[in-house]
Amino acid sequence: MSELAVDIVGLTKAFGGLTAVDDVTIQVPPRRIHGILGPNGAGKTTVLNMVSGFIQADSGRLDVLGQDVTGMRPFQIARRGVGRTYQNIRLFPGMTVLETVVAGAYGQRRSTIAGALLMSPAERRERREMRARAADLLDRVGCRAPHSALAETLSYGDQRRVEIARALATNPRVLLLDEPTAGMNDAESQEVGQLLVELRESGLTLILIEHNMRLVEDFCETVSVMNSGALLAEGAPTWCLEQDKVKEAYFGKRSDAARIATLRRARRGPGGS
Amino acid sequence: MITLQFAGVNALFALAVYASLWTGVLSLAPVFFGAVSAFTFGYFAGTLGMTPLLGLLLGAALGAALGAVTAGLLIRLDSHYLAMATIAMVLIGRVLILNLPEQTGGASGTLVPGDLGTWAWLIGTLLVAAYLMARLAGSRFGLAADAVREDPAVAETLAISPRRIQFVGMVISGVLGGAAGILQSSFLRYIGPDTFYTHLGFVTLAAVVLGGAFHWLGPIVGAVVFTILPELLREPMGEYDRVVTGVLLVVIIIYMPRGLVDVRRLRLVRSGWWRRDGPAPGGPDQGEPTAARAEVAP
Repeated sequence: MSELAVDIVGLTKAFGGLTAVDDVTIQVPPRRIHGILGPNGAGKTTVLNMVSGFIQADSGRLDVLGQDVTGMRPFQIARRGVGRTYQNIRLFPGMTVLETVVAGAYGQRRSTIAGALLMSPAERRERREMRARAADLLDRVGCRAPHSALAETLSYGDQRRVEIARALATNPRVLLLDEPTAGMNDAESQEVGQLLVELRESGLTLILIEHNMRLVEDFCETVSVMNSGALLAEGAPTWCLEQDKVKEAYFGKRSDAARIATLRRARRGPGGS
Repeated sequence: MITLQFAGVNALFALAVYASLWTGVLSLAPVFFGAVSAFTFGYFAGTLGMTPLLGLLLGAALGAALGAVTAGLLIRLDSHYLAMATIAMVLIGRVLILNLPEQTGGASGTLVPGDLGTWAWLIGTLLVAAYLMARLAGSRFGLAADAVREDPAVAETLAISPRRIQFVGMVISGVLGGAAGILQSSFLRYIGPDTFYTHLGFVTLAAVVLGGAFHWLGPIVGAVVFTILPELLREPMGEYDRVVTGVLLVVIIIYMPRGLVDVRRLRLVRSGWWRRDGPAPGGPDQGEPTAARAEVAP
């Protein structure tokens, strides 16, 4: 039994010849906001997909809240307290905002088919409670769109908020967020950051993939930086971002930069003024 | 009038197809469920004598059991392989009927008492079926079924087991298909190897597609339209009526892909109305998932 909320040890996943995630170890204690950084194609989303059971790891071990969940189906992992959102928003077409969030509460409900068919008082009470709870969650994530609107018609930012509310409806203890502020402006991103802190205060462990460095530095306590499937650095965000190998992963090598500058000058030369 | 009665029975079959389609499973198995319950009813009604209500309930129970077995065997298959397997079930049903002449009458078929072939039984059964579907629509199961159909992978990360939901959908499909088979046989009074065959399967499937596979009203509307329309066209069009219904089906699939009863479109219209006149902030069109935009205070 580990004390960690999420304990990823030596996780590896290859797609054909490409090793998307190579022997990655990430350990996150409870009530921590942990960021996963790295350039595009670094394998960040693949790690998240393996933690939520979306894809199976080739090797390695995965513990969530002290339980070994390696090889479990996503719904089994979800029942053990892992919720998630998606980089490319995945809301259910045709469902309203409120329905979407109530659907997320499936695992929290106890009513049966017989109860629904017989209109039992317990089932009707549960429906009311679930709708009220969903409305509370939508308020909590700051979604101001009408609850009867189709979720797919909302603005980008509100769609991300509905996704977070849907994940929270599963009553998770670990929340995985894949680029929660993509497509949001600075003010909206800061709101999401505040929400992360509130959720952490209420006992959740948060792991987020994020490209907004200001958000990462303001709100993440620790980060793991990945590149080409491997772990590059881990620790406090400011420290990590100052490491030479991290800068190289994001901006290229210093020697590369010099070479590119020379090439630019050479191209500008003959045709230039 | 007889056409309308068949529309009612087809609506029950279409609801049975809808029940599994609701959970993302395209299945023609209700036709097989109907065949088994109808021939079982014919056999026992002939030998034992059976009250109509008992016959109907036994048909539904037999359908449920068959649905459970079918789901247990086939749910593991991917969508189109599963659909093909259920078509194979319909074909196997005909072979079984032909090769069990002791019980089914074989190629010459069997007679069935017509006690249930009345408007009262038909409308009563349809009302009960519609009530069941309406109650399920907003329930825990109903929302999970919606989620599994729209995106099974995402549904699974909401602690929903798609297989379990699809199993339940198949059992409900069995109940409705079994009951529909009993009513069908009682209306016809004679059933043979071709009564519950591919034609019935395709008619009910067309009814679901035409009427709308996203709300329980859809299959009922679709079955009524798709059963009555050929009859109305037969007079002016002669033998071209099938061409017209075929073309109509294609047109509806192209221009109304979600069918005649389209809840999503209604909701889109309503959201559009809200955006123009409601208490919402003005500003840019919220329908477009564009890039970031500052929140406007209400």
